[in-house]
Amino acid sequence: MPKLTVDGIEVEVPAGTTVLQACEAAGKEIPRFCYHERLSIAGNCRMCLVELEKAPKPIASCAYPVADNMVIHTDTPGVKAARRGVMEFLLINHPLDCPICDQGGECDLQDQAVGYGFDHSRYEENKRAVKDKNLGPLIKTAMTRCIHCTRCVRFATEVAGVAELGATGRGEAMEIGTYVEHALTSELSGNMIDLCPVGALTSKPYAFVARPWELSRTDGIDATDAVGSNIRIDSRGPQVLRILPRLNEAVNEEWISDKTRFSNDGLTRRRLDKPWIREGGKLRPASWNEAFAAIAARTKGLAGDRIAALAGDMVDVEAMAALRDLMAALGSGNIDCRQDGARIDASRRDFYLFNTTIAGIEQADAALLIGTNPRREAAVLNARLRKRSLAGRFPIGLVGEGADLTYPYAHLGDGPAALAALLDGSSPFLEALKGASHPMVIIGQGAIARPDGAAVLAAAWTIAREIGALGAAWHGFNMLHMAAGRVGALDIGFLPHGGGRDRDGILAGAGNGEIDLVWLLGADEIPMDRLGRAFVVYQGHHGDAGAKRADVILPGAAYVEKDGTWVSTEGRVQRAARAVFPPGEAREDWAIIRAASAALGHALPYGDIAGVRARAEALGAGRLDAPLGGGCIDQGGPSGDPRMLGTEAFAAPVTDYYRTDAIGRASPTMAACAASVAPTSAVAAE
Amino acid sequence: MGVMDRTMRGFFLSELVSGMALTLRYFFKPKVTINYPYEKGPISPRFKGEHALRRYPNGEERCIACKLCEAVCPAQAITIEAEPRDDGSRRTTRYDIDMTKCIYCGLCEEACPVDAIVEGPNFEFSTETREELLYNKDRLLANGDRWEAEIASRLAADAPYR
Amino acid sequence: MQSFFATPFGTLVFTVGAILVIMVPVLIGVAYLTYAERKVLAAMQLRRGPNIVGPFGLFQPFADAIKLMMKETIVPTGSNRVLFLMAPMLTFALALIAWAVIPFGEGLVLADINVGVLYLFAISSLGVYGIIIAGWASNSKYAFLGALRSAAQMVSYEVSIGFVIITVLLCVGSLNLSEVVMAQQGLWFAIPLFPMFVVFFISALAETNRAPFDLPEGESEIVAGFFVEYSSMSFALFFLGEYANMILMSAMTTILFLGGWLPPFDIAPFTWLPGPIWFVLKICLCLFVFLWVRATFPRYRYDQLMRLGWKVFLPFSLLWVVLTAAVLMAFGWLPGQA
Repeated sequence: MPKLTVDGIEVEVPAGTTVLQACEAAGKEIPRFCYHERLSIAGNCRMCLVELEKAPKPIASCAYPVADNMVIHTDTPGVKAARRGVMEFLLINHPLDCPICDQGGECDLQDQAVGYGFDHSRYEENKRAVKDKNLGPLIKTAMTRCIHCTRCVRFATEVAGVAELGATGRGEAMEIGTYVEHALTSELSGNMIDLCPVGALTSKPYAFVARPWELSRTDGIDATDAVGSNIRIDSRGPQVLRILPRLNEAVNEEWISDKTRFSNDGLTRRRLDKPWIREGGKLRPASWNEAFAAIAARTKGLAGDRIAALAGDMVDVEAMAALRDLMAALGSGNIDCRQDGARIDASRRDFYLFNTTIAGIEQADAALLIGTNPRREAAVLNARLRKRSLAGRFPIGLVGEGADLTYPYAHLGDGPAALAALLDGSSPFLEALKGASHPMVIIGQGAIARPDGAAVLAAAWTIAREIGALGAAWHGFNMLHMAAGRVGALDIGFLPHGGGRDRDGILAGAGNGEIDLVWLLGADEIPMDRLGRAFVVYQGHHGDAGAKRADVILPGAAYVEKDGTWVSTEGRVQRAARAVFPPGEAREDWAIIRAASAALGHALPYGDIAGVRARAEALGAGRLDAPLGGGCIDQGGPSGDPRMLGTEAFAAPVTDYYRTDAIGRASPTMAACAASVAPTSAVAAE
Repeated sequence: MGVMDRTMRGFFLSELVSGMALTLRYFFKPKVTINYPYEKGPISPRFKGEHALRRYPNGEERCIACKLCEAVCPAQAITIEAEPRDDGSRRTTRYDIDMTKCIYCGLCEEACPVDAIVEGPNFEFSTETREELLYNKDRLLANGDRWEAEIASRLAADAPYR
Repeated sequence: MQSFFATPFGTLVFTVGAILVIMVPVLIGVAYLTYAERKVLAAMQLRRGPNIVGPFGLFQPFADAIKLMMKETIVPTGSNRVLFLMAPMLTFALALIAWAVIPFGEGLVLADINVGVLYLFAISSLGVYGIIIAGWASNSKYAFLGALRSAAQMVSYEVSIGFVIITVLLCVGSLNLSEVVMAQQGLWFAIPLFPMFVVFFISALAETNRAPFDLPEGESEIVAGFFVEYSSMSFALFFLGEYANMILMSAMTTILFLGGWLPPFDIAPFTWLPGPIWFVLKICLCLFVFLWVRATFPRYRYDQLMRLGWKVFLPFSLLWVVLTAAVLMAFGWLPGQA
């Protein structure tokens, strides 16, 4: 561990760190543009110059490895002069258009120009102008503002895994761009907007909408996928204007997917803002009391087993706990949270969790992906896999539909046959898995949302056991969910109980008239045409498939509009605060269910969110501080029989990445994204 | 001042007389008020009157929706909403000033990087209803069009001191 | 012609005509007194005063009158309706009927009665009733406070006014106002009785609720005092009454101390002007002082007001009554004795 002195402070840092990091360890902030701790070192902005004793000239601290007995000065007049010089050079070609720049107010260059800039320019020649590039519907470019830090290029190449951006030309002719003009194909591309230290890359949907100082910030949890990305919701008045990542090393580092970031404009479109009742085949606006009365009239005298409930993908734990209690009060065990019909065995928690944890991926040394495309199903998690893959010695095998996952993998087959080969030891990839000390198996929803799902699940578990992934200190069996609400629902047992029907049973029952009332809690991804003549109560926030079929619509709150708890695929219990109020008469979902329960004559015994949370905890919801990870205590597998595998290939569950949920389907930005990738995916399919 | 002195002063009402003498003197002094609606006092080029949004000589509105005026306004009287115009330029879709909130401090004018929002020389804009004082963008642009000549000359007169 | 006025109907016509001849100028005078007040106050405060309506703002009083007449008469819910409306009428009527005994010139008087001074004194004392009734009938704490103040103030200052008048009467020997004036041929009472003149004038300010004795209305403390609830014409009547009272008190001052219609010196250029003109000019001078005082002095505190009335003016005027009587007796100057 080299010891060095920074401005008289002695610090000891691990070998291989840079001078810049050593300075930070000493509490000295070094200005920088190109350096980013999650990207490779470029050393091209020169803003981080510091003085090293006995060195002839200032050194770029971000690119200079530490050595023993270095003496660094970060605030001498020489350093200041050097940085001023660099700043003046940077500003030579940077346009003075802060007032019309969306980065204004949160711009690194602006902030540092306050510290190191001159109040006027000595540059009298013409400034250079660069043609803006079209990077697709998400990123707006103003390339004249670019200071060539190449953060975006490095991000695209290293983190996103799409080598689509690069610099052409040298010197003053240098330009950043896609070599041939096309939209970026990464689903993490929005992060370049955050990375860009100037206003060269800004958000297109958010263009000119607001200034950072106008926004109120709320810490939230993303519900568009099951990763549980930590987000910051920036809102003004009743509107969520943008969503930004929040640093959480264990989950999303500082990335979020484009769906997370940009689907917020769907929150204001196609919203259900008042209750509706279907009368004579047509929906009409109604009051809450009318809506509850209509449900009450329908449930009156109805046997419990003729009532069913399905929970959707984005629902919070509180609402599901309340609905579970209401259904129990009505005498119904016909509840299910698995809209896609996934054969999940919820008898043990590690059967349905991403047990390795997302951060744990970095310790793994071999992976087997079964019926999953993490790039589409959990883009941020995929970035972790890529990060691990880049670190080397990480063989990955894929059973399922082949796709560009941004890292190399061995394609072992399309369907159960490849699994069988792994089970009977005939697959050559088994050697790689067995040779690994920390192997992991990731099974996706595409592998289990099918009739032989239970067998596939059992087969995956068996493989995990065979390759030694189920150790006392290492749990390498992972289920990758796509629905943010799914793990929470499984935790509190939002599943058929007491002889109740599961999702398929409910659909069949509704189809043949054995079930008269179906309560859809944000469930839009089920085949509505199979609900037959059942009376459908749709409680949700968007006028999507469920609302279209509904007989009574109860307007609920979207994930940014309620204080809610979500459990991520790795079992992490996270709580989000309300950022904006639900529109119109819409209310928080648990409160709707509580009010409905009173109208139905089975008032639930809690009146506030603390009560609901206590109840959810009693039902089995994890605590916020519950530890994650850990080893596998019981190697006994889930209930399926691995020998019952079918033959059909695993189908990818995500066909349209940008529009997997009701919010995304209502979002014009997501529609534009889907339109922009449509031709490319068509080409890839050929 | 002795008791005698004070008593005599009180007795002969000398304070009262001197006070009345003062008012009488003022009675004959020249009057300082001007005959307001018919004659007006001189106004400094920095006078902060009614707001106006200016245009460039080619008719293009100056305001670029940077929102600095909105940010600096201590009374929070300005509300701006913006979005890209069809040609891609940054423009306001809404520029409201609540003149009942405005304290006429002129910070909006100081903050404006393009001299778009200015406080003009007009101070005679009283209205009969409160609603008429909630200015929108059209009203402000119309003000700018009406007062442009004076505003421009004022800015030119004040330019050497900025 | 003469015989017509001798008939009862003719007397009625003549009297009504004479009343009109007095009342109309008095009311116009009231109107222009408001204008003069605003102009004088403005001038002393270096302002211009009303100058928009008509030349030099001369039509301002009429504009005000029209405005007041157009307004709604508001009668508060809790008020005593009859008394509430009666009070301003009473004040206004009392301010006018006093003019019956005022001599405008030699023989120019509507009712040349022998007890003119007592009549005037009685009428001006009755004025407090209008205010008391208004304050009580309004059913408002401010109005009531104002009325109480007004009553106490008027009672206090009438005592010293009474003594001042006694002093004058001692010198005249008659209660007839014309004779009071005629007694001042040669020397106005303002000169020998100067201290009494000052006491009388200050008491007149208090009697008419003028600054610095305007505590009954005291805007800054009790909003507008006894007429806080009044609006429109009912307010206008109070207003007219107050200003008519000012003119009346000026007329009394003129008659008692400034020689009524007599010219200052009984020599050529002064005698060219007829008596009534001199009378009006003197009234105007008094009124100017009224306004001048208002522009100069701040309002008294209530205890100061009472102290001045009871502890200064009362003993002082009493002393002067005794002193005057003693001097007149000693030198044998008592009227009718010679």
